[in-house]
Amino acid sequence: MEIKNLTKKFAGLTAVNDMSFEIHRGEFVGLIGPNGAGKTTIFNLISGIEKPTSGTIRFDGRDITGMATHKIVNLGLIRTFQLVRSFKFMTLLDNINVSCLSPRGKRIAKDYGIDEYSSTILASVGLIDKARLPPVILPHGDLRKLQIGKALGTNPQLLLLDEPFSGLSHEEAVAITDLIKSLHSDGVTVFVTGHVLRELMGLVPRVIAMHQGKFIADGPPKEVANNKIVLEAYLGRGGEFART
Amino acid sequence: MKINYEFSDFKIYLRDWIRTFRGKLTVLCLIGFVLLPLTADSYIIGIFNTFMIFTVFAASWDFLAGFVGQVSFGHAIFLGIAGYVTAFTIRYLNFPWGLSLILGSVIAVLFGLIIGVPALRLKGPYLALGTLAMSLILYQLFLMGSLAILWENAFPGTILFGTDGIGQVPPISPNPSISYLVIFLIMCSSLIILTHLGKSKLGTIFKSIRDDETGAKASGINTTKYKILAFMISGFFAGIAGGLYTIRLSGVNPGNYQPLYSFYAIIMASVGGLATISGSVLGAFIFVFLGEILRLLGDNPNISDMFGGFTEPIFIFSVILILIIRFAEHGLLKPVLERLQEVWDLLLGR
Repeated sequence: MEIKNLTKKFAGLTAVNDMSFEIHRGEFVGLIGPNGAGKTTIFNLISGIEKPTSGTIRFDGRDITGMATHKIVNLGLIRTFQLVRSFKFMTLLDNINVSCLSPRGKRIAKDYGIDEYSSTILASVGLIDKARLPPVILPHGDLRKLQIGKALGTNPQLLLLDEPFSGLSHEEAVAITDLIKSLHSDGVTVFVTGHVLRELMGLVPRVIAMHQGKFIADGPPKEVANNKIVLEAYLGRGGEFART
Repeated sequence: MKINYEFSDFKIYLRDWIRTFRGKLTVLCLIGFVLLPLTADSYIIGIFNTFMIFTVFAASWDFLAGFVGQVSFGHAIFLGIAGYVTAFTIRYLNFPWGLSLILGSVIAVLFGLIIGVPALRLKGPYLALGTLAMSLILYQLFLMGSLAILWENAFPGTILFGTDGIGQVPPISPNPSISYLVIFLIMCSSLIILTHLGKSKLGTIFKSIRDDETGAKASGINTTKYKILAFMISGFFAGIAGGLYTIRLSGVNPGNYQPLYSFYAIIMASVGGLATISGSVLGAFIFVFLGEILRLLGDNPNISDMFGGFTEPIFIFSVILILIIRFAEHGLLKPVLERLQEVWDLLLGR
């Protein structure tokens, strides 16, 4: 995926300011920045939920700038949301079924049977025992697993995970971390955001840092953590860096 | 081999279904329906016909609103267009009623697409307003005397526009029992088809649009395409109801386009229960029979003197709807079934 000169302005506020970077197939990259840095906006722009004011986004050699979300998903690029969304009035199995019924998901799922394929996905995220229950009974950590499961139904090539660790207890965060690691080792390119460097430090070999919509650093976590500009951006947020 | 597997699957499904309370109740009602013509007079049969037609109409609306989350305030459009096409082709082109019915529905759906495709880009209240506006426009259009004259000159001997509408449409069969049974079969097929569409994988996609449209798009679903498909399915069955209604009333007039009919569909489906096709049966039943009782009461001079205009059916139904929203917001179907089951268990001494 290639992002060039991406800018997004909202009535006077420049949420994303001339960002450019590349992510290659099979990579495992983190995106960090304090709250309000523009991370979710970037994800919204990439996944077609918002249109950029200027700049281009290319995926797999194709220009996907401003393309409709469902078309982007069917090219293999899918994102999860920071505020978990689910189909409230359906079973977990049906929640996954929806993704498997997308054109891209169906190509794979129909050979196994849609329900069977969804069950496999549910099992891989550890939720198979709750397959016939609605999402309302799930604790937060399980909802995040469900989100990832739903994304897997579309057979993604590039997975954008928006703050997958926020609001999780330590055990839940460990479970999600293991899940994401196994996805990456299966060949999915993963692009993760977080606003505390500590979470991503042990997880990703490469981190992109942004602040107030602007790009500030790109490299291995240790390097980025010691980058002067990055430290300045986080200044006033105290002990976070002391712990990394 | 696949056909055998599916058929024995179906037999098991049927057997399990009959074992449930709902299954038994449904079979009982079906038997009652079929036996009705033997015992009742044409007045009662007529009311049942209206009830069955309205059931299909309410179910078609429920399919769109309850399963896909698209609330249309213009279902009268399908009623009217299908009605006019049916009346016109039977009366002036001598088509058999079956062909007219299907043609009416198909044209209603095509017309619905013309409105639907732009309208479905609107959300919630705007979709409701857009569909409402469209039905009002059609109402006025078909009322226009000037168009009536234009049409008569262009196609002499036929009527399309004008306040009188098209009349003298013959019934399905001179034998009212046969007409009744035909309508019964059409109603059953429509309900079965709609129910199974709702429970299928297509239904899962529809429900995802209802529950979280952005989430559905983010899962790779082309929601616009499926909303249009749902609109077409709903419109087709509403059109069937429209054609049947025209045959039942032996004619069609611009009044069929009135928003009132759209509201009838909404009331019936909501009273019965959204996203349950069977709820439409209950809702239509209450609506038609209670409406008829109220009408009879209203006609009775003693009672209408006592209550003034308050026996007007639409007034009572508005009150009922408010009560339902307050006390049984998911419709009456579940509570009623539960009470019936309690009575049944009581009778069997459990």
